Amino acid sequence: MSPSGVQALGPGALGESKLNKQKHINYWKRCLKTYLPTAYTSTDSNRMLLAFFVVSALDLLGALLEHTKPEEREGYIDWIYRCQHPEGGFRGFPGTDFGDERNAENKMWDPANVPATYMALSALLILGDDLSRVKRRECLQWLRKLQRDTGSFGETLGENDNIEGGTDSRFGYCAAVVRWILRGAAKGEVEGVPDIDVDKLAECVSSAQTYDGGISESPYHEAHGGFTYCAINILAFIRRLPPHITDIGPGADRGPPGLGDLDSAVRWLVSRQTEILTEEDEPDIDDEDARDEAGSEPPKEEVRDLRGFGIFPEDNQALTRLELLWAGFNGRPNKIADTCYCFWELGALCALHRQHLTDTEACRRYLLDKTQHMVGGFGKVPGDPPDIYHSYLGLAALALLKDPSMKPIVPSACFSQDAARFLESLPWRKEITAGGDSLPQGFQYDLPSKIDERPKEGASDSNYMAMSGG
Amino acid sequence: MPGYGEDPEWSDIVPLPQDDGGPNPLAAIAYSDEYSEAMSYLRAVMAKNEFSERVLRLTEDIIDMNPAHYTVWLYRAKALFTLHKDLRKEFDWLNPFALRHLKNYQIWHHRHTIIEALASDLDEKSPKIDNMIREEQDFLDRMFTKDAKNYHVWSYRQWLVERFNLWDCEEEREAVDDLLRKDVRNNSAWNHRYYVVFGRPNAPKNTTEGHVLMQREINYAEAAIRIAPQNQSPWNYIRGILSHFQQPLSNIKSLASEFASLEKPDEVKSSHALDLLAEIYKEERQLDCAGKAWDLLAQKYDPIRSRYWMWKKEQLGTAAA
Ligand SMILES: [Zn+2]
Repeated sequence: MSPSGVQALGPGALGESKLNKQKHINYWKRCLKTYLPTAYTSTDSNRMLLAFFVVSALDLLGALLEHTKPEEREGYIDWIYRCQHPEGGFRGFPGTDFGDERNAENKMWDPANVPATYMALSALLILGDDLSRVKRRECLQWLRKLQRDTGSFGETLGENDNIEGGTDSRFGYCAAVVRWILRGAAKGEVEGVPDIDVDKLAECVSSAQTYDGGISESPYHEAHGGFTYCAINILAFIRRLPPHITDIGPGADRGPPGLGDLDSAVRWLVSRQTEILTEEDEPDIDDEDARDEAGSEPPKEEVRDLRGFGIFPEDNQALTRLELLWAGFNGRPNKIADTCYCFWELGALCALHRQHLTDTEACRRYLLDKTQHMVGGFGKVPGDPPDIYHSYLGLAALALLKDPSMKPIVPSACFSQDAARFLESLPWRKEITAGGDSLPQGFQYDLPSKIDERPKEGASDSNYMAMSGG
Repeated sequence: MPGYGEDPEWSDIVPLPQDDGGPNPLAAIAYSDEYSEAMSYLRAVMAKNEFSERVLRLTEDIIDMNPAHYTVWLYRAKALFTLHKDLRKEFDWLNPFALRHLKNYQIWHHRHTIIEALASDLDEKSPKIDNMIREEQDFLDRMFTKDAKNYHVWSYRQWLVERFNLWDCEEEREAVDDLLRKDVRNNSAWNHRYYVVFGRPNAPKNTTEGHVLMQREINYAEAAIRIAPQNQSPWNYIRGILSHFQQPLSNIKSLASEFASLEKPDEVKSSHALDLLAEIYKEERQLDCAGKAWDLLAQKYDPIRSRYWMWKKEQLGTAAA
């Protein structure tokens, strides 16, 4: 690398990338204690999601207890329980609540919502609630009704218990976390309620792997980072990752793995890391003009056009370390980097124990130098103002990268290990799991302290190679 | 515009205000008065299951402010059906709305509901169906002028292909071709092409006929590679095709070698070609060459993934041992 180039970047560019922790705490305190701006009206239906982000962000920053009084936390817990449904599950926001006017004819307009239920249960745990007021039996019964014959889950139940919402892996993922929170790894009936159809769910995930290795919304749709995270972590929760990923012990009860082609999934995920950070970095070759000018013979792309999208400087020399200082992740091939995909792609790789195959330092610097905002929070791309969604996932990504300012995170559940341990300590939960829980694969409470240290997995990987004839 | 409270048309309705519980709601939003009032009227009519013209206008008002509201769309659909509205008119409202709200899923679900209802009233062979499909395709093309990689729109387009059996529809192929001419890196368009060719019910098989198709698709991707060798989409497309026909990667060794060669390590034109070449060497058990290709990727042509390439090389060692 060129030393003068480093200097030209000015102070703070190298080696000093740092989370401005106090600014982030202030940002989240504002979100917690004052009204969110009117612009959030378009996300009113997802208030439980916003609530989870606010509470969990302060928890991951280690600032929740310090900045809230016990009676405030009781108030937040009460608010979440007010969104609980008489028939199990939680609504997404208070806006559909008819209060005393709720009846059998109108309740379909005020349904419990699958993502909201995952978020509500998680936020309760983070706030230190023991879930004793959760209608666990009703919730588990309701959850079963959300699964389609194909294995996928919907978002809500509509008229005549019709399953509404898309068929993509987001809802299956949220259902898998709810199931884990309320059932652990228990077999058979819990609270008299049978389990969901785990085989069908695994099949459904497997069928959505695409020709380029990622996972899409449903078969033959385009692979996408968010769906890939959800799909792979479903498999972590239901213990259907390929057997060599983690050794869950002899005699472990498991069905066939739900990821047909692990190698191409990893290849797709690591390929999402990119140094293309803004639209201006994208090559802007006008392919139509290029074709016209060249007549029938398509022209060769010029080197300068390659530069943006790959790694080819004009003199065709290797990129210096300097140019690789910042590299985020995109959600699909040929898209620019975006804060949230640092979490989704790395989170999927964590479940596969392959996060160390990425340039974790460049990702860290991308988040801290490029999308961290001076008022706290993160924007989607450099220069963007912070929003709750990207601000949370930026922090969560840094927690995956073991940033020393952050609490350890459970990559598959997207909340702190403290909250997960608290769940596992609850007496009702111990009873269900007979004290012998049950961390699903991918939970990695014991990730190596330096993320780029290779986990001891060489032996099992070679077993896999042998198995697949590779 | 006067609020609902002052409008005589709504004077019979007692609004149902939002109850946010005690003093510590989470993620409370500074709602505008207009939104709070409209939502209070929506709750009041939903609680009574009222389906009327005024309810349709109210749902438009709410959807405009909060398009992600997951039951207002279902409520609107039920109102349209209950009132036996002319469903074709729904697009007069829905289309401009979709062009303004690009990132909303519910719009596309609603569209799906309406088209399904219109189609179920028609004979499958009716020319009206063809017209409807043509109009849908034209509208999707307009959506793509705003964002040619919009995930919801592509998902909807795939549903349309399957629902109306458009696998051999000339317009469908042409629309995707056109998008790839505009941007050869549009991975969504590549994916759609793969879907139309290989996702169809009678997907091509490993037969002579199938292999003609395989070659046609490889040629298509090859032409795109010649325009932009460092574009990962057509390289992935070719891998997908070979895997579909269970063909070894070495089928395209000469293509890969054209853009990356170990003999000319300073003249690599595409890291994707080099990656492919490494795997072809591995397939051919030329492990030294595979290792060299991965070294080149790690050190020079794709250093952002250097750990991945080095890991691939290590795996090779473990597999050979
Ligand atoms: Zn994002």
